[in-house]
Amino acid sequence: MATYMCMICGHIYDPSAGEPVQGIKAGTAFDQLADTWSCPVCSAEKRLFQKA
Amino acid sequence: MTAREIVPGVFSVGAIDWDRRLFDELIPLPQGTSYNAYLVKGEEKTALIDTVDPAKEYELISNLCRMGIERIDYVVINHAEQDHAGSLPMILEFFPDAVIVTNEKCKDLLIALLHVPAEKFRVIRDREKISLGKRTLQFIITPWTHWPETQLTFLEEDRILFPCDLFGSHIATSDLFMSDERTTYVAAKRYYAEIMMPFRTSIRGYVGTVRGLNPAIIAPSHGPLYKNPSFILDAYADWTSDTVKNEVVLPYVSMHGSTLKMVDYFTDALIARGIAVKPFNLSKTDTGELAMAMVDAATVVIATPTVLFGPHPLVVYATYLANLLRPKVRYASVIGSYGWGGKASETVVKMLDHVKVEVLEPVMVRGLSDETALRGLDRLADEILKKHQELNLV
Repeated sequence: MATYMCMICGHIYDPSAGEPVQGIKAGTAFDQLADTWSCPVCSAEKRLFQKA
Repeated sequence: MTAREIVPGVFSVGAIDWDRRLFDELIPLPQGTSYNAYLVKGEEKTALIDTVDPAKEYELISNLCRMGIERIDYVVINHAEQDHAGSLPMILEFFPDAVIVTNEKCKDLLIALLHVPAEKFRVIRDREKISLGKRTLQFIITPWTHWPETQLTFLEEDRILFPCDLFGSHIATSDLFMSDERTTYVAAKRYYAEIMMPFRTSIRGYVGTVRGLNPAIIAPSHGPLYKNPSFILDAYADWTSDTVKNEVVLPYVSMHGSTLKMVDYFTDALIARGIAVKPFNLSKTDTGELAMAMVDAATVVIATPTVLFGPHPLVVYATYLANLLRPKVRYASVIGSYGWGGKASETVVKMLDHVKVEVLEPVMVRGLSDETALRGLDRLADEILKKHQELNLV
């Protein structure tokens, strides 16, 4: 599954790790994240992520 | 600074900071700066747009007093950072009936940063308007045009855009409007590099939004105003685009000359291949100049000696900054020297984890470069040329 990079702070969303801090389980693809999901580091909106 | 009229009823009331030479204890200000605040008088209401750095708060108050302003109905805050919002507490002391107009995120930040009472706010949404009587302020919420709460204010009837930090430049000048295009272009590019470049992807979309408003004047919060908005909008469209130039930025440090020999050879090798090169000796470099060079270069090659087991700390500093500023460079590499070992190039490459670059094979040499080592630099220069040709830059 593809990883995505936050275009604001550079945080990488890695589906194999999920986002434990946000309660997002390992194995969750980027597309499966809610549209209201935001970067756990800088709070940038989901639309500001690009394929890494 | 004395207040100045932009158009009848709209004034620049901020302060010029001729002496300031450092911002955020980080960014050099070779030409000083200004904190621009604006006063808009409608037939019924008066609005102040942004304030000034608290170091200059008395100048703002004295400008308003000299103008005979007895009442401010609204204080519009486009951005919560202290160099623009920091005089808000004093404005509220002098004008206790003023209502702060801003978006929800900015309200939260102002409460956190300045302890402004929550009941002082009127929260607006994107594209909401407030009438001042024959004059209308429209608010456009533009997150990540610097901070998450940034917004623009548009004075519809006079078509004046107040974008706060966006489109600004650090220049202290007595000219209200830009008078020298070249000086302003360089200062605005430097400002973009230092402040706006990390938000390139986000800002790119808003350049079109601003063009859609068709402003007659752009009045940023630092530096001169633009009577010809396309000057700065075209520049931003270029800087925020994905287009890179046939350029290599070459930040370097050398302690005993071994790395410098490589830098000199490599500089010539790039020039011989028709590639523009900008070497920066980090022990003498103004970081703003370095940031500006990275705005549109296709490639960055970092040259470092090995201190104990890793890169020189000045190289670490510059690499950390580059990783934060996230320029649109496509290729990166490391060259340098070592005496007995170490992991200088690996450490530098690892630090570039927030920049989307392809790393070209580093050239690390033991001691002073001999002919074989210099061939390695030729190979790197050839590879850069090939990559730039693939991008149709050469």
